[in-house]
Amino acid sequence: MAQPQEAPGPAPRDTGVNFFRPRPGFMRKKVMYTWLLLLSWAIFTFGFQFVLALQDEGSGGLLTETVILGFPFHYWFTGQFLIVWFILLCFLFNTFVDRLTKIYQKRK
Amino acid sequence: MTAEGFKLFPALLLLAVLGILILTGLASRTSKGEYYLGSARSVGRMGIGAAIASNWMSAASFLGIAGVFYLKGYFALAYVIGWTGGYVLLLILLAGQIRRFGKYTAPEFVDARYESPVARVLSAVIAILISLIYCVAQYKGIGLVFSWMFGLDYTPALFFGSAVVISYLVLSGTLGLSKNQQLQYALLILCFIVPLMAIARKLGYFWLIPQLGYGVALRDLTSVAGGSGYGAPFAFATPFQWIALCFTLMVGTAGLPHVLARFYTAPNIRDARWSVVWGLFFIGLLYWSAPAYGTFAKLREFQGGIPSDPAAARAVADLIVIKAGEWAGIPLWLTGVIAVGAIIAAFSTVSGLLVTGASAFSYDIYYRLINPRASERKRMAVAKGATLVLALLVVIGAINPPGLIAEITALAFALAGNTLFPVFLLGIWWDRTNKYGAVAGMALGLCITFASLLFGGIFPWLHAVVPPTSSALVGAPLVIGMMIVVSLLTPPPPEKIRRFLSEEVHAP
Repeated sequence: MAQPQEAPGPAPRDTGVNFFRPRPGFMRKKVMYTWLLLLSWAIFTFGFQFVLALQDEGSGGLLTETVILGFPFHYWFTGQFLIVWFILLCFLFNTFVDRLTKIYQKRK
Repeated sequence: MTAEGFKLFPALLLLAVLGILILTGLASRTSKGEYYLGSARSVGRMGIGAAIASNWMSAASFLGIAGVFYLKGYFALAYVIGWTGGYVLLLILLAGQIRRFGKYTAPEFVDARYESPVARVLSAVIAILISLIYCVAQYKGIGLVFSWMFGLDYTPALFFGSAVVISYLVLSGTLGLSKNQQLQYALLILCFIVPLMAIARKLGYFWLIPQLGYGVALRDLTSVAGGSGYGAPFAFATPFQWIALCFTLMVGTAGLPHVLARFYTAPNIRDARWSVVWGLFFIGLLYWSAPAYGTFAKLREFQGGIPSDPAAARAVADLIVIKAGEWAGIPLWLTGVIAVGAIIAAFSTVSGLLVTGASAFSYDIYYRLINPRASERKRMAVAKGATLVLALLVVIGAINPPGLIAEITALAFALAGNTLFPVFLLGIWWDRTNKYGAVAGMALGLCITFASLLFGGIFPWLHAVVPPTSSALVGAPLVIGMMIVVSLLTPPPPEKIRRFLSEEVHAP
């Protein structure tokens, strides 16, 4: 671990770390990407189950009747596609961060 | 569990595989010596990914998920998604920053971030509890598979299995074996997928990619089962239960950042990040396959008229990957391959967990709290003693396992999600979090996790709101709220840790 540096005085508040108020520049951009990915992570995982639960009321809707690759659509989506989606999200995150790091390390 | 007689071939296979692991461990020790960690670069991103996956695979993945599918169909996918989606959360929110922070086990992180003996001891106790609970699930798997393989009753098989685990641990410890995790991953995934291909082929489904081939079997199952719908959503659990479990496992995974151990030791952070993509793919290979075992087993059960009253089904559920092979009629040696894979997965998880738990005790509790003047040797002795004590406690806990393998494991994840996840998340992303908040949060998280187990009898609503396996959907936000309120009411943390966070941890 790099040792915490001795602080001469209180840090100016714009250097604070807060997920909801990221400071401008690298951190703000990174947090923006993080929000985007978190949203698509949550919508695809929980949002889909929510929609599924709503349509389940009327037993046998489009999501459960459609067949894809041999599976009922809802099952294929959750059991197989979501894992692919997660891998893709990690891939996107890495691409974003690689690009950001390149930009901001050059400026240093 | 009734004993069925000794199975020679699977037992010999187990002996052979353990022998191979020990021999390759010896070989890599002599050729690379102590520079083993430094050679991480040579294995590349894919190799680190395989190491992450082999670290992760346990009896819960190998035996547990298929068992839950066998009982509850679609509900099992909450485990599949929870244990893969958690990696996304870990990667995008925490892993990179934790690596920069330089402390990645809970007690170390809490110690450096919050600088409070109480918080450190609390987090060490939680880490030990998680190890214990997680281990009980692994031991249940070991006991069941040993009882199948050697024709013993469950309890003697459990004792025999734990004796083998401990001897294996001691042997690899004294020989200084280094684990070849890439080899181990290859072994595990072959042990899981090859028998599945054989089962799919035997039953007449598309067997080259059984992960896709079982879709037709799933629809056949729905028609045979006559509407009880194993593939149907929410037939066995409400949407709330599904989402609560899934969310709990996700934040639990993110609250155990050392599952990415190799992420922090890889020389280059960029390689480390990309290796997670590979790791997730390798883990996916197992999780795409696990429900297929459950599907084939259930299908055979309906077709063959194998009796299944609920109690018998629950008793057999955690062995269902093996039963699927038997019921489909694949050769015994192939069924033995599955069993050996399960044991190897459980063994490596157990050894990792016992070492984590014991080092939390010997360093964070014994050395930092009880006897700060203890020598290195003394601490090693305490760690070894603690390993044995923990192993004993786990055996006692596993004699009457409190639930399915996957359920017991989920309790460990719920604990991590309710306590360690908020501590890491706020510790990294909000510099105002202080030690009072951390202590209050972890205490509340402990209470929430065990609330329904301890007080469910008096307050039945606790079972519905914070069920033991899925308490973090309600618990984690409550704990985070508690930490924020307490932190705001108490003095801010020292300026130097806030500067460290902003200048080092969150730097480009």
